[in-house]
Amino acid sequence: MRMWLATTMLCLPGVANAQSAAPDPVASSAQGDLSVTIYNNDLALIQDTRQLALPRGRSRQEFADVSAQIRPETVTLTAAGAGIIEQNFDYDLLSPQTLMNKSVGQSVTLVRTNPATGAETREAARVLANNGGTIVQVGDRIEVLDRNTGRVVFPSLPANLRARPTLSVTLDSANAGTRPATLNYLSRGLGWKADYVALFDEKAGKLDVQGWITLTNTTGTTFNAAKTLLVAGAVGTADGGNRPSFYGGRGTPGPRGNQPGTETARREQLGDFYLYPLAERTTIANAQTKQVSFLDVAGAPAAKSYFYRNPWLQKLDEAVSVDTVLKFSSSREGGLGDALPAGTVRVYMRDARGAPQFIGESEIPHTPMGSKLALKTGEAFDVKILPTVEKRERISDERWRTTMRYTLTNARAQGVTVELAQAGLERWWHDTKITDESQPSTRADADEAVWQVAVPANGTASVTATFDTRF
Amino acid sequence: MRRVLRWGMALLVGALASAAPAQTLSPAPDRVAVTIYRAPLRAPDQAIDRAWLQGYALITEQRRVTIPAGRTTLRFEGVAAGILPESAIVTGLPQGVREKNLDADLLSPRTLYAGSFGRPVTIRRTIAKRIVEEAAIVRSGPDGAAILQTRDGFLAADCGPSQDALVYNRVPPTLAAKPTLSVELDSPTAVSVTVTLSYLAWGFDWQANYVATLRPDGQSADLLAWVTLASSDTTSFADAETMVVAGAVKREGSAPNPTWNVADESLTFRCFAQPIVPAPAAVFAPPPLPAPAPMAFEADIVVTGTRLRRAMVQQEDLGDLKLYRVPDRTTVAALAQKQVALLDRAAVPVSIVYVSTVDSGGDADAPRITLRLRNRTDQGLGVPLPAGPVALFQPRGDTALLIGEGAIADKAVGEEVEAGVADATQVTIESAHPDSGKDWEAYRLTARNANPYPVRFEARFAGEDLPRMSRMTETLTRKDGKAVWSVEIPANGTRSFGYRIKDSD
Repeated sequence: MRMWLATTMLCLPGVANAQSAAPDPVASSAQGDLSVTIYNNDLALIQDTRQLALPRGRSRQEFADVSAQIRPETVTLTAAGAGIIEQNFDYDLLSPQTLMNKSVGQSVTLVRTNPATGAETREAARVLANNGGTIVQVGDRIEVLDRNTGRVVFPSLPANLRARPTLSVTLDSANAGTRPATLNYLSRGLGWKADYVALFDEKAGKLDVQGWITLTNTTGTTFNAAKTLLVAGAVGTADGGNRPSFYGGRGTPGPRGNQPGTETARREQLGDFYLYPLAERTTIANAQTKQVSFLDVAGAPAAKSYFYRNPWLQKLDEAVSVDTVLKFSSSREGGLGDALPAGTVRVYMRDARGAPQFIGESEIPHTPMGSKLALKTGEAFDVKILPTVEKRERISDERWRTTMRYTLTNARAQGVTVELAQAGLERWWHDTKITDESQPSTRADADEAVWQVAVPANGTASVTATFDTRF
Repeated sequence: MRRVLRWGMALLVGALASAAPAQTLSPAPDRVAVTIYRAPLRAPDQAIDRAWLQGYALITEQRRVTIPAGRTTLRFEGVAAGILPESAIVTGLPQGVREKNLDADLLSPRTLYAGSFGRPVTIRRTIAKRIVEEAAIVRSGPDGAAILQTRDGFLAADCGPSQDALVYNRVPPTLAAKPTLSVELDSPTAVSVTVTLSYLAWGFDWQANYVATLRPDGQSADLLAWVTLASSDTTSFADAETMVVAGAVKREGSAPNPTWNVADESLTFRCFAQPIVPAPAAVFAPPPLPAPAPMAFEADIVVTGTRLRRAMVQQEDLGDLKLYRVPDRTTVAALAQKQVALLDRAAVPVSIVYVSTVDSGGDADAPRITLRLRNRTDQGLGVPLPAGPVALFQPRGDTALLIGEGAIADKAVGEEVEAGVADATQVTIESAHPDSGKDWEAYRLTARNANPYPVRFEARFAGEDLPRMSRMTETLTRKDGKAVWSVEIPANGTRSFGYRIKDSD
């Protein structure tokens, strides 16, 4: 195999110039002084102040290195002493196919190589049409272009074909000179949430919690040395943001005992939202997940409890584990003492050798200070319940009498109390009655009756209840 | 040719890493502990899917690092590929952590091209075994690849008679070979510390497997259980303290399928439409990066286990979960499965019961051979039994034959454990509807045993049917919310049970 090095390598004035002018995408980004404000619902506001050298009169300015997921309709540019004539967002991408389309009627060069000698011959050709195949005229011959016709060399690139979508603004400046210009726009692809590390000491009834802000950048663009502000909230957007759903409401599965708080945290607020500014400028690289600490609390009181909710008329063949629930508060007194932005709480406990082990995680919504939290972390291996229907009979045309038995077992060496909820008591009619029960229940709401069932160590307990219902 | 090119790339990457400012590299953990959690939604009888392990692990690593004074980026290499960056915890640093980053903008044919926009490259043309090189500048993005500018003008790569390849002269500086976790920190002085890094990672799974071998008396069985653990991660954890956790742990996310959402990182040279004559030469495409193929699994299976010294896992309570510790340090290898003994008990009292379920219309399921035992210390057991499949064997001469396979859910101490392992062939149930009245139906169940030995048979009725049943020829017992007709059918014998049931409406 012989290797030919084209002599053209040595003298390429045009290429050499372009090379020295080519900006290194990282070392010298076109971005200016950046401020990035990130919301929870895949939305960010980006403010980019660049030094713009404007001539007097009209000029067209291109803005490279804006977010690849820019929402172009949200762009505003402010520059002192200059008015905006028009803004363009061009996304006609440069590719062989589009290049050929724009070259119809133009001249190109066909370079052919003699396979035997390697000698190259050049011919001028004219592109006649490009409809599912390219027709070229070479001298007085008409040919359909294929690989063997030769290499097509285009003299120039059409102005409006872009390597990547490009924002350009036409400005009318009263006088020439360099001035700061501020570009504001919204972008998708930036988001953040909170992640909490909670180390639970069951014996001491204490919880250590660290909160981290986790921000992710999937825009395809790196934001260099950005002043970063995180807003704990999903601002309304025309195309609908998705808000995480919250507390307890009707029909929400999850343990009982969540209650939003009414205290105000000592943090900067903007309207209804808490703000989390990062202390220093940071570079948010493309495809990066970045975490910054915002909360560190040691020794907050916390307790473990057990919960089970039985859907109406559910009976099981085999006992199932009840939920293990971690209860704590975000209050100033006896709690974490802060508002908690929406995110995931991961709970750890120390094993017999003292190493923290993961025991489960739960998502929380934006949680005001002073809230009570009851988070399911998992299910108890040793505490189980078997709900069964003992008896179900029709007592009149429109009423049924149903006797349920709930058998609870505890294989632990300590007694436990299980909060047992029978759900589904309200279905349009509000006259469901419990006519008989082995221990008193509280009717937490129209839909649920709740028993606190004490199950002795290595023992069994059972609850029976008879319901008078319309269904 | 290609080898030379790779060499050049390697040198460039090396030069790049050393040029970066104030970086401290921790290439691998010194000590590592791996705690494996079962796939959250996998049923006890569902086998581990080695092509898509949906469980996860908590990996805790100890790393000895020397940190210079001032601001440093500490990079951790050799972490699990399935790391969930938001779960990473770093402790033991003198001043805490300013920020943690996971960089996942990876070097690929596509990002290499995209990162070379506006930069010089070399086109290497191969035509009739002749190689010609020409300098060029990248003028398109990767979606419109590849428009290049040469001295002559603009052209599309690989659209002429030659086979074209691009040769780059550098790697864009932000692209990494693997997702890399790093922390930024400030240290007042240079210091040598032991850092603990822990994180969750998808792509692991485990389960218990039970083997019960009946004794000749048919009243007891030898019970052997294994912990089977598997990793589909591409990182091996050597000499790891290994644990598994039993019980249901709540997770909000789920394991990504390795075959979904894989970004196409290859670079395709597009061309003009060429409808008439197909290209004579095979279209050249740059080779994709050798991504770890999950399909390559079978080649790497490791089965460890020793019959001579059966090292048992040790169980402890972890809150409301059960933690099992593998006694010796072991290697949790990449793309591998491993087994460790969980339990070995001889002559545990068991019974074999033929179980049939009867609905309120008198129809009975075919009897199922069911292994039953009580998980109690006074019954030779009394340990937590994590969920998993159960295989039942019966001795035959020197060997044992498989009777059937079932599964159990997590079973606590004190519970009755049942595993239906096979449909019976020699014990049958027949249901007849001999009579009916204005608001009742009469049914008769006939259970027959063609075996030359007596068997225990149980027909189970829904508990709420019992108050509507009358004229029963035998007494039913209540058990776990059900009404049970439990009877011993003599060898080659028949037993029957008649009853009436009130129509429900």
